[in-house]
Amino acid sequence: MQSKSIIQNPTSKIVYYMTHFEIELEKLKNVIIKIGKLAEIQVSESVKALLSEPIEGKEVKKTENKIDKLDVKIDEICQSIFALQQPVASDLRFIMAAMQISNEIERIGDLAVSVIKRSKNIKDKHDLIAKFEIGDLAKQVELITIKTNECYLTRDENNIGEVFILNRSIKKKSEAAINNIIVEMKSHSKVVVSGTNLVILLKHLERISEHCTNIAEYVHFMVNAKIIKHDKHEDLDL
Amino acid sequence: MKNIKIEVKDLSLYYGEKKALKEISLEIPRNKVTALIGPSGCGKSTFLRCINRMNDLIPDVKITGQMLVEGIDIYDKNVDVVNIRKKIGMVFQKSNPFPKSIYENVAYGPKINGIKTKNELDEIVETSLRQAAIWDEVKDRLGDSAMGLSGGQQQRLCIARTLAVSPDIILMDEPASALDPISTSKIEELVHELKEQYTIIIVTHNMQQAARTSDYTAFFYLGELIEIGKTNAIFTKPEQKQTEDYITGRFG
Repeated sequence: MQSKSIIQNPTSKIVYYMTHFEIELEKLKNVIIKIGKLAEIQVSESVKALLSEPIEGKEVKKTENKIDKLDVKIDEICQSIFALQQPVASDLRFIMAAMQISNEIERIGDLAVSVIKRSKNIKDKHDLIAKFEIGDLAKQVELITIKTNECYLTRDENNIGEVFILNRSIKKKSEAAINNIIVEMKSHSKVVVSGTNLVILLKHLERISEHCTNIAEYVHFMVNAKIIKHDKHEDLDL
Repeated sequence: MKNIKIEVKDLSLYYGEKKALKEISLEIPRNKVTALIGPSGCGKSTFLRCINRMNDLIPDVKITGQMLVEGIDIYDKNVDVVNIRKKIGMVFQKSNPFPKSIYENVAYGPKINGIKTKNELDEIVETSLRQAAIWDEVKDRLGDSAMGLSGGQQQRLCIARTLAVSPDIILMDEPASALDPISTSKIEELVHELKEQYTIIIVTHNMQQAARTSDYTAFFYLGELIEIGKTNAIFTKPEQKQTEDYITGRFG
């Protein structure tokens, strides 16, 4: 007999019995939400480290370890579901997406740590951030990770669309900032070291945004069974 | 779908007052495997049995609509039912060899069809047993009783017996449901090979078997055809919610 868990709808009094398989899927979903939240914290900390003060490295390391462990746990759950349950249709897409999403989240976590580390090595950081308007961009990167978690949770087309729009804006801002930094470095050699660090850091932020966009694409695949990872998002009806 | 072998138009079947199949319309392509899936009592086996008029043997059955095989309505009163069953072989859930030798089981059909010479019969027996992937296991004991074979071997012998009369279409009603995984895998592999020459329609309760063996899948529910499409599409992105619920095990 399948093990079952009872869910009761408080308004309709309808009792729904979850099958063992559904419990496994729910478990997987909860781990994804958890790892997503941890990545959100890491990104938020990295933005804090960039825009205000250096942050406690111990806590960041601890969160990074948690993300790595959950990433492995997700792989194990997916492997077990594939082997024992042979999922099809929406279940299959859900599990395929889970594997990809956890991979993307793990990379977001790593990039956030890199941002934190590099933030420490930028001289006159606050002046440069103000000069090249990086503050707004960093806040948008923080926002896109929140929106990405929301889009996984709600599976809502509007949330997916918002992630795509934010990514375009981040990319544009980052490119403009990098161009300005390069111009500055050409004329003032004393900013070359800080400028280079800042360019690398901006590239990390851009990558975080791209990983968020990839996650939104997997959510789209999960919901609509359509692979859009190489499509132009502007052409999508979102 | 191109190259249609069977075309079904508005086919309904009644067991007395009860309507067991409701206006089924579908096309079955030539040299492909089409799986029929659905919960017990949904009409998939009843539908399968309509294809070689097996339901004629049940009293109080009434059939309306058309079952066109190669463009000919097999329910037309001028059609010879024996001829139809010659062209449309059937394999059942439970293997049912005759209580005769392995050789006689396969040679039985061709003999009835008038083939008398030993050389010709030998050739048919060997070819059929080879096609059914059992030749190597029985070639040295063709005179032994078929009843001494294992369940999986008996089922493949029944397939060889079906092939011996050169059918165009093979109907399979849960052919591997009573077999162990090794025999099941042999039958599935066989189905895959046989489609080169035959049009195969298979009823199965095993969703993975339908996914593994068929090119097209039709989902039946309460006597209705809910959806038919390429197996890959049915198992990755079914169009109907009922199909999705059934294949993901959330039915009812």
